[in-house]
Amino acid sequence: MLNNPIHGVQCFSSAPHFFLFLMNKQTLLLLTLLFVAPILCAQQTDTLISLPPASSHHSLWSVGLTAGLGRNYHVVDMSYMTDYRYSKYAPGSSFGLQLGFSPLRWLTLRVDGVMLQKNYQRSHVIGGTTISLPDTTRNTYINLPVLLMFNVGKVVRLHAYGGGYWGRWLASRRTGTTYGMNGLVSYDEQLDFDSPESQLRDNRSDVGFVWGGGISGIIKQKIEVGVEARWYYGLYDIQKDYMSHPNPRYNTTFVLQGGISYLL
Amino acid sequence: MKYRIHKSAVIILALTITLAACRKESEVSDIINPNSRTCKTFTQQFEAVWNGMSQGYVFWGRDTVDWDARYEQYKPVFEEFDARPASRPVSAEEYNAAYQGLFQGLLDHHLYGMFTVPRAKYEAIVRPGVNSYYHDMDPGSERREQLRVLKDRTDLVPNSYYAYDPEDYGSFSIPGMYCALIKLKTGKNVAYFRFTNFYLSVVHEVYSFIDHVETVQEPLRKFFGPRYWEGITSEGSYANDESVVGIIIDLRGNGGGSTADLVPFIGSLSQSSTLVGYTRVKDGFGRLDYSPWSKYVIGCPRLHLQEQKPIVVLADINSVSCAELATMLIKNLPNGTFIGERTYGAVGALWPDSEHQHDYLYSGCFGDYNYYQYGMDLYRYKETYPYYVYTSTYHMVDCNYDDIEGVGVKPDIEVKFDRHSLMNNHKDLQLNRAVDYLREVCIWNH
Repeated sequence: MLNNPIHGVQCFSSAPHFFLFLMNKQTLLLLTLLFVAPILCAQQTDTLISLPPASSHHSLWSVGLTAGLGRNYHVVDMSYMTDYRYSKYAPGSSFGLQLGFSPLRWLTLRVDGVMLQKNYQRSHVIGGTTISLPDTTRNTYINLPVLLMFNVGKVVRLHAYGGGYWGRWLASRRTGTTYGMNGLVSYDEQLDFDSPESQLRDNRSDVGFVWGGGISGIIKQKIEVGVEARWYYGLYDIQKDYMSHPNPRYNTTFVLQGGISYLL
Repeated sequence: MKYRIHKSAVIILALTITLAACRKESEVSDIINPNSRTCKTFTQQFEAVWNGMSQGYVFWGRDTVDWDARYEQYKPVFEEFDARPASRPVSAEEYNAAYQGLFQGLLDHHLYGMFTVPRAKYEAIVRPGVNSYYHDMDPGSERREQLRVLKDRTDLVPNSYYAYDPEDYGSFSIPGMYCALIKLKTGKNVAYFRFTNFYLSVVHEVYSFIDHVETVQEPLRKFFGPRYWEGITSEGSYANDESVVGIIIDLRGNGGGSTADLVPFIGSLSQSSTLVGYTRVKDGFGRLDYSPWSKYVIGCPRLHLQEQKPIVVLADINSVSCAELATMLIKNLPNGTFIGERTYGAVGALWPDSEHQHDYLYSGCFGDYNYYQYGMDLYRYKETYPYYVYTSTYHMVDCNYDDIEGVGVKPDIEVKFDRHSLMNNHKDLQLNRAVDYLREVCIWNH
């Protein structure tokens, strides 16, 4: 069993898990590359072509809406509990408002307010049996990313951005099956953040890095539409530090979203 | 250009490593499954037991013991045991004291831990739930004496069908049972049924080869009727007899057993399905990682009690586990009343397979099952430190989500065990109060 909690993916009890780990690492490098390259490119472009800071078509402010689908990776080390699998995909949605300020054509400061689901699915095949206990957790967060965005192009533009976000865990709901006193029993439970256990255990603050990139086009002079891929990398354990020998859990969320902005 | 590529690569690498390093490391990666660990030192045994409890103990949501503080306190003790020279070996008393201290005050009243050392020179047994009551537990000789007294109370219980004490069959868990009609002055009767553990299904299904099994089953047939395992409404059963105006179920000294008995037994006394409460299991390494609560419902057999007769359940501090659930269920029936003492407080249920439950659910019992099953003699010639911890698989709460572990079920009418009255005057005050209560209800109803 390979196990490297530093790099985040839980336990690799099988080949697919290991490849998942590698894929994450490669994705990390790819997105970092996507992030860094346009920065260098944009700086070079400005220097070499001497693009004026604000042309007559350049809008200083923009406001917009975004919507998209996300895939969350719940990162937890399950050690010897190798029959707990967090590899299944539990789709989540993302809806947001965005406000942009562009002092330079190639540079935008963007603040988003995003309602984001960081869902995950787990399966537990009970050892020595074929009984599988599915469990889906749907978490709703509000995230407020502050982004520094680098742009290339005029009508069709490439973007790369990075920044940080602050967030709050708003709700959590678990559905699935467990082995109760009556045998296999389904459940559907909304987490009560006011319960004493939740107050002791659950860290509702969410802080992390976010970066991504995309492409957009300006239509009808004042309207800009685009698509982008975004990566939220949570830095806060979703559990509080309530016990020794901790086993932190993190969320890493990819979002593919489309947006429309009005250029003021 | 080459320089620029190198520079970019360094930036990417630095950024990646920085991001990855921002997350805390897990400290559970190196923990070995406590259900399959072989320990070679005192410290390894302590670590395995501490981690097994930290992960699999199901009451951390309620328990007030600071398990981290116990680690800080007792790890140096076990390390010191390992550091001892051969000339100053660890004594049985020191070893026992260390484990007693480690487990002291834990809530689970099923909890039973056993630990031994190489060549099984001595062992430590812990039962932290035992010593917390207002009078001593009395599961042994005095309880049996009490039952003998009951058997001889021919004035109160004229039809004696007292069967056997459990120990008559050695390790077989055959319940001792007794069923009788208690005559009231009004000419009516009260049906009385007592049994010492919840293995009625065992009597019916598994141990039919035992000599005198018909005699063993006789009280069941009397009370429930010949088809007692299907329901209690068979013609001629005491429970449905027209002359019977009330029922006493005596669960005093009942040590519990299989919850499978609750359906035909309690379900048969009710008029519809009954919600017992809610259960959950551990669900991860965090002490507060739990599965969601799931309902625990007792179904109602097709042939249930035909008429809502008043039912009194007698229970006491020696009523444990399944006997407490049955007490709680009868108490919650609209026609149920609980008379006696607060029950023991061990209601966290256990998965039937104690050997594999930790491998299945990562909740409850863990350790060397053979040690639990066959004792320390198996380890006379081995250089290992075996252990086994028997603890609840399920955290159970009642239908109002109130915890009853360590609390027990509280009586509607409290009548405490009176040793002097029972042994010297042959008066069972708890049973007398139950009969008086039913007599009052009978008069009130008519």
